[in-house]
Order: sequence, then structure tokens, then C-alpha cells
Amino acid sequence: MRRVILAVTGTIAGLVALLSFKSHVPSVPVAATTGGSGGTSSSSSSSSGGQTTTVPGEFPQGSLAGKLPAGETAVDGKAANTAYGPVQIQLIEQNSKIVKVAVLVQPANTLHDIQIGAFAFPKLISETIAAQTAKIDAVSGASYTSAGYIQSLQSALDKRA
Amino acid sequence: MPVRPKNRPARVGARGLLALIIAGGLVVIALWWHRTPGVHGLGGWLTGAGEILGLLCGYGVVVLVALMSRLPPLERGLGTDQLARWHAMGGRYVVSLVVAHALLIVWGYAVTAHASVVSESATLLTQYPDVMMATVAGFLLLGIGIVSMRAARRRVRYETWYFLHLYTYLAIALAFSHQLAVGASFVGNLAARFWWSAMYLTVLVLVLWYRVAVPLRSYRRHRFEVVGVKAEAPGVISVYIGGTGLDELDAEPGQFFRWRFLTRSLWWSSHPFSLSAAPGSDLLRITVKNLGDHSQALAQLQPGTRVFAEGPYGAFTPADSDRGVLLLAGGVGITPLRAIFATLPGHVTLIYRASSERDIVFRDELDAIAAARGATVHYLVGSRAEIGGDPLSPRVLRSLVPDLDQQDAYVCGPAGMTSAAVRALRAAGVPRQGIHFESFEF
Repeated sequence: MRRVILAVTGTIAGLVALLSFKSHVPSVPVAATTGGSGGTSSSSSSSSGGQTTTVPGEFPQGSLAGKLPAGETAVDGKAANTAYGPVQIQLIEQNSKIVKVAVLVQPANTLHDIQIGAFAFPKLISETIAAQTAKIDAVSGASYTSAGYIQSLQSALDKRA
Repeated sequence: MPVRPKNRPARVGARGLLALIIAGGLVVIALWWHRTPGVHGLGGWLTGAGEILGLLCGYGVVVLVALMSRLPPLERGLGTDQLARWHAMGGRYVVSLVVAHALLIVWGYAVTAHASVVSESATLLTQYPDVMMATVAGFLLLGIGIVSMRAARRRVRYETWYFLHLYTYLAIALAFSHQLAVGASFVGNLAARFWWSAMYLTVLVLVLWYRVAVPLRSYRRHRFEVVGVKAEAPGVISVYIGGTGLDELDAEPGQFFRWRFLTRSLWWSSHPFSLSAAPGSDLLRITVKNLGDHSQALAQLQPGTRVFAEGPYGAFTPADSDRGVLLLAGGVGITPLRAIFATLPGHVTLIYRASSERDIVFRDELDAIAAARGATVHYLVGSRAEIGGDPLSPRVLRSLVPDLDQQDAYVCGPAGMTSAAVRALRAAGVPRQGIHFESFEF
């Protein structure tokens, strides 16, 4: 019985210690700017670990440039590296107003990454369209993806200005 | 300079082995640490905990199999019964970790994906690669764990337990692919995948070598076969096994083999029985108490029956000692001690605890050995009520062996008797490192 208690408490204590150390790591992207330098359209970069293929999810994926109705223009953000891989977005604007955001590159190494993107990106996109700036809240449970998204979005906004 | 006797394999001590296992666990945790960018929110915590436990499970099953791989340094260093106890204890721990791993991952993923636990379970099972197989593996391990605990309490037959344990290999194989396909520490990490696979492969090779190839070679070389069967006491028989070149086995008194008698009803399970006499160059003897269907069937063995023997195993092999040696046997635990009693040089005393006069095995042999070598045998016979108290008390032991605290003690018997005897010896002043025991129930 003593062994059982020791094993259970030891395991839990070890887990809590490991996880709490790791929880102090900030979720900001490790480094800015790799790959696709922007421009107006052009296909996105395939930087390390990034994934350009379309994955299941209810949000625009891949470049919309060339498929846009008259009056809308596309601006690519820079790829922002996150710990799970780069995030790169494309801004679609009409009369200097953000009307759509497409995701060009997203972490998709594991199904879990894709699952996180599938619920995070629609929220981030609708927040962006509502706020019209990059000052939006991160989606809980997707802090890395959110940080990468916001950084790439900011770079697109900077380029436009 | 002390010289290791010929062909005696190196030994790994309990502390060394424990340090090695823990070091391996730390490397596994370092892998997670290295591959995990950060942990955020409830989902991150749950998933992170699930990942760590998953890695530890994947490592733990390898350790559990390695403990049972019959690796000579382990068999000679820790002894089979201690390895089996570690395996049982570690097995319970790993099975608990498997369950916790599955629950934490489902919960953590569900929180992160803002899905219900039920729908996330379905997603994991149907869409994540190999998770279905791993789930089957988890249930297999859980089932085997439960049966083993029941077997330990003798509610399940030895044969059932033995046979079910073979499914652990299936479970480990089923669980392996999801580790590399889904495990966050392995996806896109070729080096980690390589070393992880190498670890599994190494243990597989060890098992195939020491549990299959070596016994097969030994079977071909020594051609073991039953020579005769002799009744020793009610429900106790000796089986004589002949063969060629048996001295090459380097078996020592106190060791045992795992025996597989190749008859229609017995060939599929092997059982551990100690040598009950010093091994000869063409003859081995084991003595078996009727504890189940298997041992009952042994009485019907015909001379000429081929035998498949794995061994010798066991670290219950007294070294020569300047100090006197006390041998303490309980019931059929006399078998290895009978072989030791006949061969160990120096001043030796044998105490033999049996529940009745009829149950004493080898009385004539023991008396003859004692007379030939000038040693003493004490028989402690009768139930506690008849004797008036516990015969294995420090007081009784000291009265039988006055210089007890100057002696090394070797205890063999049923688990309850063994632990009682060890406590009594400690209380009588025998130092811990002077007490050696083997419990034959495994």
C-alpha cells in the first residue's frame, strides 16, 4: 500500500513539475520572417515543417489571388515560425477594409495540429474582420497558432501601410 | 585477486539495474522536454501529461520484457524470483500508466479541440493513425494485468496466466506503430524514431536469443529425456532427467530450469523446478509437489519422454564462506536446499520446517548426508498449535543455532514462510546482507 501511494504521488508530482516548468515558456513565435516575402500574390513558401496542402476545416486555405472579384486585392503576410511550424496568412481587402483572410501555411505535422487549426483559424479570421487590426485575442488552446497568425497578419498590415 | 569461476556470467546488482532503468526513464522524459515547445491552458497540461505517460509506457513495456528476457547477468545477479517481483510490480505500474495515458490524451485533446470527450474519442479512434490498434493493445494489457493479479492470489490457474501472458507480445506490437505515427516527440524526428525502434529491436533480439535460440541449441546438444519417476512423499515426486554433456551447462546446486515435457498434454507450457540434487554429467533430478494439474500429470511421465529445458537460472547459489551457513527450508522449498546441503563445503546446518511427519521429503537422504559430512539437521514438524507457537521465532532459531549471528542464511519456502523466516533471522541478529532467500512461487 505504501508503495502504491508513493508511486501515485511520485508520478503526479513529477508530471506537475515538468509541466509547470514548460508552462512558463511564452508562446511567441521563435523567429519572424522566413520564406514567402510577400508581394501581392505568388504561391506561398514551403518552409520547414510548414504545410500548404488544404486540410479539413471551414476557412479559406491557399492563395485567393487570381480568384478575386474586381476591387479586392490580396496581400501576403510573412511566414511566422512557431514551435509547431510556420503560419502564413493572406489578407484580402476591398477599399482598405479587410474582407477575408486566407491561410497559406499552417502547422500540419500531426492530425492534432490540423485539429487545432480547424477550430482556431475561423475564430481568428472572424476576430480580424471585426477588429480590422492585428490586435485580437489569442484563441485558448491554440496559443502558438494564434501568435503566429497575429504576427503574419501584422506583417501584411505593415506592408499595406 | 578474486577470479570469477569459469563460465560464470557477469552479474548486475539490484541497485545497478534500478539506476539503469531510472536513467532510461530520464532520457525518455528529456526527449519530451526537448520536443515540447510549451504547455498552455488546461488542454495543454492534460495533453502534456498524457504524452509523458505515453512515452513512459512505451519505455516501461520494454523494461518489463527485458526483465523477463532471461538475460544471464540479470538472472545471476538479481535472481529469477526478484526479477519476477520487479516485473509484477512494474507491470502494475505500467498498466496504470497506460490507462492514465489514454484518459489524459482523450481529455486533453477534447479540451484543446473544444469537442466533447465522446466525439474526441471517436475522432482519435477513427482518424488518428493506428490509435485503434493501440486501444486494442491497451485493453489487452489491462486484461493481462488483472489476470496476473488474480493469478498471484491463486484464483487463476498457472497455465491460464502463462498462456495469457503471450498476448503481451501482441499488445506491444499493436501499440508500437501509434507511438511513432502520432507521438508528438517522434513526428518529424528521425533520430528519436531510430533510437526508439532500436530499443524495441534490441529487446526483441534478446528475447528471441535467450528464450528461444539458446534453449533450442541446448535441447539439441543435451537431448534431455525422462529417465524415471519416483514417489518421495504423499503428493511429492522426483523426476530424473538424463542427457549428454550436462556438465557443460555449469548448473549449480540451488539453481533451477524451466521444464517443458514433450507429451501431448504438457508440451505447451513450461514450469520452473529446482534441481533437488547436485547436477551430474548425465543426470539431473527435480522434485515436485503436487500443486496443480500439471504437477499431477508429471507422475504419469514415461521414461523416454523428451524434455525441453531452459536454464540453468537462479541466483540462489551459495558462495563458499568462512562463516557457517544455515539452510532454512519450508515444505517443498527443501528441493534446492537439499542440493546445496549435499555440496556446500564448510560448517552447514539445515532446519527443515514441515507441517507433518508425512510431508518430510528426503528424510533418509538428508540424514545420510548429515552423517557423512558431520552436519546437523533439525526437523520442525507439526502445525503451530501442535508445536505451541511459531517455530520460526528468533528464540527457537537461536536455541538451534547458537552462533546464528555469525552465519549466512539461505531460506527457501512458500512466500509466507520465507518472509516470516527472514524477519525472524533479522530479529535474531543476522545482518541483512547475510540473508538470501528464494520464494518458489512464480
